[in-house]
Amino acid sequence: MLSTLAASDWDRVKAGLLLQRAGFGGTPDEVDALASLSPAEAAESLLGLTKAPPLDPPSFLQEQPIGESLKNERDKMKSLSEQAKAEAKKQMFQYARANQGRQLTELRGWWLKQMAEPPRAAREKLTLFLHGHFATSFEKVRSPYLLYQQNNLFREKAYGPWSELVLGVAQDPAMLIYLDGAQNRAESPNENFARELFELFTLGEGNYTEKDIQESARAFTGWSVGTSADKKAGLQLGSRPVFKNVPKWHDPKSKTIFGASGNFDGTDVIRLALSQPAAPRWITQKLWRFYAGWPAPEPLLQELVKEWQSLKGQIRPFLMAIWTNPNFYDPVRAADRVKSPTEWLVGLCRQIGRPLPAPALSAHILNQLGQNLFEPPNVKGWDGGIAWINTATMSRRYEYGSWLVDGTQGIQKLNSLNLVRVAIESGVAGMSPPEISPEGTVLSRSGKELDPAEKSVAKEKLKELLSLPPAPVDGLATAEQRQNAEKLLAALAVRFLPGETIPRDLGQRFQQAAGESIPFTDASVRKMILSMIQSPLYQVT
Amino acid sequence: MNIDILKTRREFLRTGLLGGSLCWTLPAFLSRTMQTLHAQADGSLIQGVTGRDGNILVVLQLAGGNDGLNTVIPLGNDEYRKARPTLGIPEGSILKIDPATGLHPSLSGLASAYQDGHLAIVQGVGYPNPNRSHFRSTEIWATAVDSDKSSTTGWIGRYFDNACSGSDASVGVAMASQLPQAFSASTPKGVLYQGGGGSKKKASKKHGSNLSDSDSSTMSMEEDDAGEAGGSIGMLNGPGNLGKMSALDFLERTEMDAKVSQQEISNASAKAKNLVPFPSSRLGQNFAMVSRLIAGGMPTRIYYLSLGGFDTHTQQAGAHERLLKEMGDAVSAFLADLNAQGNLGRVTLMTFSEFGRRVKENASGGTDHGAAAPLFLAGGGIKAGLLGQMPSLAPNNLFDGDVKYNTDFRSVYATILEKHLGVKPEPILKNSFPLIHAYG
Repeated sequence: MLSTLAASDWDRVKAGLLLQRAGFGGTPDEVDALASLSPAEAAESLLGLTKAPPLDPPSFLQEQPIGESLKNERDKMKSLSEQAKAEAKKQMFQYARANQGRQLTELRGWWLKQMAEPPRAAREKLTLFLHGHFATSFEKVRSPYLLYQQNNLFREKAYGPWSELVLGVAQDPAMLIYLDGAQNRAESPNENFARELFELFTLGEGNYTEKDIQESARAFTGWSVGTSADKKAGLQLGSRPVFKNVPKWHDPKSKTIFGASGNFDGTDVIRLALSQPAAPRWITQKLWRFYAGWPAPEPLLQELVKEWQSLKGQIRPFLMAIWTNPNFYDPVRAADRVKSPTEWLVGLCRQIGRPLPAPALSAHILNQLGQNLFEPPNVKGWDGGIAWINTATMSRRYEYGSWLVDGTQGIQKLNSLNLVRVAIESGVAGMSPPEISPEGTVLSRSGKELDPAEKSVAKEKLKELLSLPPAPVDGLATAEQRQNAEKLLAALAVRFLPGETIPRDLGQRFQQAAGESIPFTDASVRKMILSMIQSPLYQVT
Repeated sequence: MNIDILKTRREFLRTGLLGGSLCWTLPAFLSRTMQTLHAQADGSLIQGVTGRDGNILVVLQLAGGNDGLNTVIPLGNDEYRKARPTLGIPEGSILKIDPATGLHPSLSGLASAYQDGHLAIVQGVGYPNPNRSHFRSTEIWATAVDSDKSSTTGWIGRYFDNACSGSDASVGVAMASQLPQAFSASTPKGVLYQGGGGSKKKASKKHGSNLSDSDSSTMSMEEDDAGEAGGSIGMLNGPGNLGKMSALDFLERTEMDAKVSQQEISNASAKAKNLVPFPSSRLGQNFAMVSRLIAGGMPTRIYYLSLGGFDTHTQQAGAHERLLKEMGDAVSAFLADLNAQGNLGRVTLMTFSEFGRRVKENASGGTDHGAAAPLFLAGGGIKAGLLGQMPSLAPNNLFDGDVKYNTDFRSVYATILEKHLGVKPEPILKNSFPLIHAYG
């Protein structure tokens, strides 16, 4: 069993680390509040209720599916010439694409907003872990609606038993589409999901055989997605598929999986997989690594596994256990966990007390930093850790840090933010569905090009997105702290580098950044903040 | 900030510079990093060949799956005409390079490179058990392992590990938004350079950030011409193990790599001018930059560029023509400039795409994901000609509607490694592959 941190060892440094790692960071007040509790109470207060609190879903959920909105025009297409039909199809495709892009941006902005709400932060952080673990991409699924459903599945099941979560994911339409489960039939089994279930979701490579995969794929046959599952075009146009178990597609013959034989179905496969010795090792190590930032060495891993087993694979109490374990706060490892881009962005906005940038801009920043939410690079998700950092992402963290602290007036640079996309996502252009005239010509175009008027409106919109005011720092330092560089540093370090030890020379560099003119103005305070954010130390927690 | 004297990290480590004027950028807490790096720096006293004087490989990725069959086209071929009733390129407009083979009409630049003796066409390149997923097939090309295996390192990364230990991170330069998966190495290498954005306006210099690549910055007010398809290609796996480095060490090192390589790049690009005009496209401008960096003496041995948009499932004809023209014009300007600079002899350019496309066109005027396809090798050392065989298009010779490969892509890699970069391919490709006769 895992040992627990004594209340006497609990302090602001550890509370600061926990606030960052368990959620998305916060303010010195939040650190103080956590520090005043016992370690277990602090973990409890971050985790919040076992049941997910209600939330307002993104507004695009109210819209009718894109396919429905085009139904009339599609009916008209039948009478068109081949050429006009091709043109109409192209327009409708582009219209659907543009709509999907707009909804996806809304979904991203919506999720980031949830993360930035302190009472939700821990659950959203775990949801983010699960999104990377059960990686599913818009690139293939194409439906922001289904991605929202999956995201909410993570959120609602995040604190419960691991087995229920895995089962939920196996029956989740977005996952069924992403890993081809929807195409899995008795006569032609598709192994994609079964393989990733073992390799990435539950066991890890080397803990199953090819035969286990083949037989499991057969067991999963029948688990599919609504009526339009086979029709890619139908899905792309936005019908609303649901999980469907189709007995006639199921292979009823006997299967042998992990040495057991029987007429297994998907539920059995998950039960069998999770009863493998590798299963608790896999998920406990992944959770530990996500939250602590470094892999648990063997003795610790064995303790994690025992804890997990005694908790019967319940995630919430397991997080309690690791967050109150002394190893979690190993001072030698305090700078070994690299903040993910999402943590970095949400955390920085929380620390400097500004709202998140507009969804399109936030999404762009995260993409440029390497974490495009809902579009993980592949089914392995994001590698995390030092993989977040390369010469370009490092430079961009510094650059975007300066935007968020100093504001972005006059900034002319925004590498490759697509103007057409901005125009569409902000409703400037391209959002009227194509119409087919009685003469059989396609009247409106959509989604791909902008006319000059739209272009100038879109450029204005882009400028508006880019013009963030300087961060409001007046409340971040008292008059007394503004009289002395050392005191100012202490005040800002508590906010921006909680839990970190600042080497003396680095501290001097931060102090020098504020300049010499006393009392320190807001501009000087921003300079010191910027020097902190533009340091390797800020990138870790 | 006196970083001019810091031409490379290696020089910095070797000379042990840590003068007062450097304190601001290189604080003393870097010393731990220094110690970790020292072993590597020691080896650099007997530094081997660099891109300053040695051979250079330029990789051009055509992301999305280039239609090989409409790039290098069989002449007088009934099966081609049958499979491509609307997308088939009219026989008369094909740029004939031998009695049975021609190039797409928009590849006139490549056709003249062929005549000049600087272009080889390798036909039917692929691998056993082809995968038709963009991501997976790109990963297979990047990692150069069998299609049922995986690897955390890329083939170029393993070249860095094997042949370039002690080099600066800038031994590999990618003109991209992310390091290509092919660069993933046990010891992280490779820097990103956001190339000038084609004809787009130059931005004003940025304030605030001391790391911004200000000389290359552009505000993209035009439509992003990289295309969606390129974006669908997965990004790299993370760098491998860090040895004894901590995450913070790694970050500090990356910060320094960014500064040093930025300095190297602006120094090198300032030293040289392009001697021929380049197209104003993004790819054209990226190639112009690569040629300047080579001429300016960058130590880089591998440059990586990419052009996206090849995933032409619908309405392929116009889009494919534009893409090939962008590629062909950029490549021919690049070869001409290298030649004018006297660098053509030590540069090889290799194009590749994760797969070709289905032989039979689909119902939406496009083509679906296929398998084997031709690739181009260009440069002064290249022996011009057609290598490999044009795959048979006869339906009973196809596999699931796709042409069969006859040259493993790793044979192309092995040939470049051995004949051009002068290293043994086996430790890098973890296997032995027959070489092709691409070099004179």
